[in-house]
Amino acid sequence: MSHVFVFTNHKGGVGKSTSATNIALGLSSVLKSTGASNARVLLIDTDSQGHATLVTTGRKDYGSKDSLYTVLMAERQSAAKVMNDCIVQSEWDENLHVLPASPMLEGAERELIGAAGAPYRISDPLSKIISHYAAVVIDTRPSFSLLTEMALIAATDALIPVEPRYLETVGLLSVISKINEIRDGWRIPDLKVSGIVVTKMDSRIKGHTQLLSDLKNHPALGKLVCGIIPANEAVSYAHNAHQSVFSYDPKASASRAYAELVVTLIRRMVQG
Amino acid sequence: MPKPNVQRTSNLLASVTDDMLGGELTSKLNDRTLRVESFLLDLVRPHPVQPRRVLPERIHQAFHQQQLTPTQALRELIQIVYVAARQHSRPFTNVLELLAQPEDESETPADLSPEETLLRDLVNLAVTIRDDGQVNPLTVVDATQGVTRLYRIETGERRYWATWLLRDFIPDSNSNGTIPCIVIPTERASVFRQAKENTSRSGLTAIAMARQAALLLLSVHGYEIPDYPVDNDFYRQALHLDLHSKREHTDMVLSAMGGIGKMHLSRFKALLRLSDEAIEMADRHAVDEKKLRYVAVMPQEMHAELLHQIITLKLTSKQIQDICESEEKVEDEIKEEQIPARAIKVARILQSVATTAPADVARALLRQEQGVHLALARIQSMRQLLSDTERLLEEE
Repeated sequence: MSHVFVFTNHKGGVGKSTSATNIALGLSSVLKSTGASNARVLLIDTDSQGHATLVTTGRKDYGSKDSLYTVLMAERQSAAKVMNDCIVQSEWDENLHVLPASPMLEGAERELIGAAGAPYRISDPLSKIISHYAAVVIDTRPSFSLLTEMALIAATDALIPVEPRYLETVGLLSVISKINEIRDGWRIPDLKVSGIVVTKMDSRIKGHTQLLSDLKNHPALGKLVCGIIPANEAVSYAHNAHQSVFSYDPKASASRAYAELVVTLIRRMVQG
Repeated sequence: MPKPNVQRTSNLLASVTDDMLGGELTSKLNDRTLRVESFLLDLVRPHPVQPRRVLPERIHQAFHQQQLTPTQALRELIQIVYVAARQHSRPFTNVLELLAQPEDESETPADLSPEETLLRDLVNLAVTIRDDGQVNPLTVVDATQGVTRLYRIETGERRYWATWLLRDFIPDSNSNGTIPCIVIPTERASVFRQAKENTSRSGLTAIAMARQAALLLLSVHGYEIPDYPVDNDFYRQALHLDLHSKREHTDMVLSAMGGIGKMHLSRFKALLRLSDEAIEMADRHAVDEKKLRYVAVMPQEMHAELLHQIITLKLTSKQIQDICESEEKVEDEIKEEQIPARAIKVARILQSVATTAPADVARALLRQEQGVHLALARIQSMRQLLSDTERLLEEE
């Protein structure tokens, strides 16, 4: 079964899109370099801001005919075909495919109120084309809206990017309980909170090291920490250049940290 | 916008993973074990050069030239069957009714047209899939290019069409629009594999065997097998090829053809001399190679007429041999008289007027001319020709 990683947190600016895009590219590159039989990775952008779409495809003018919005509005029977037709190749790598977001997603939730099977409008069509991909990575918007709920219903592994700040780590438990609520409420037994990714970590700041230490020592959350991405200006410059952090500056500490996270995720994929 | 440096990306990720991924993990990632996977029906397509035709030739060509979607192709087939069934007083409103036992017990499946038999078999298969599930997955080859996903069917085209039938034409089917497939790695896919799969099953027509032989011969002689629809002339290129200069491939070709001998291979190949119309008729009606071999040596303009007689009069191979040999004698005599071949053909058609149903002629004309007006114009010129001929005979 292909793994579907969803990066989610109701707080904005924690590195969801950065992590989703770099992890998606990392997964396909590592799978390719190890000679895996299938190295294709699909990145689904559910955030109407479309940052992940912009940096990976170089465009953000997707609309009602060629984006996730099109899939959400499609007839149930044709939704999988529509999803397949809307997927584009990223500019980063031939094996990284993108289902782009559109600004129209902003109004999609309102349009879908009362629509039959609305929460399953990503998971249903995705289940019919997923065998084509080794993994799927979903970027979400900074809220627990209907679109984020759709993404979680389609997912197998939820990853929570979080900055090492007091209020954010305090909010972690509420994020996890919200994910568990969706898992139990919609009866999605495959969905699990798979990890916490600490982003923008600056070891020179005492508060960051203290909070990271507290997080690691927490009886429940400590086991979930699966990646620590250092604060690194290469990340913002890479965004600016519409590149992955790996290609912008492979020697940057953030590149190495993301690469290690990729390997951790691949280990989990292989070990089931 | 600067182009991302993919090489640098790969180097970085490779250097990290070399340390962290053990050999065991890498071997699991490289796992090429064949697995059954469910694919969206829209992403799976039959191979256009597959020797075994499931749909009638005209629909097959239109479908592979992207003029028809799978649903439209099936609708065309159903329409043909509907017309044929209504002419024989067994109209239906739902394809499931084709499975019902005929009220007239004297009516046997042999009375059904090839299209009726084909559709009935497909409906039967679709109902089996609905009731018992698709227990036998298709084998496909991944022909994906970029984000254009495509899986080419190596075996299982009938199951593919039955699944479409189930999805779009059988009520309450609950089909989710996917089909289980086993993906054959591209490097393991070949015309030889496909040929073995084809010949190991029963029901391959003589024409399909001829196309199969042609594909194998073309392949061993280095011809590229296209992935777009081809006409019979493509297969006919094999008429000039043999295995003399490719002795190292002889065993492989004969084994892929189902273990037949060299003589049989040549006989199947020779069937490609038949005219296009004759090939289509022979394939639709699954006429034996033993019967076709006599026809193939006759002049091409006689093939269709001979095939028509073989099918309608259910001639045995002995009878066909006799006819063809006498035809050859007549042919020799006529050649001496210098009568144009077209005139001889018309005269022969007149011999079979008594055994030909007007409805069949009307259908054949419509298919040939693709329109009522053209068909009527043909009849009018035929009428003119016959009245002129009659006048000449009366003068004699």
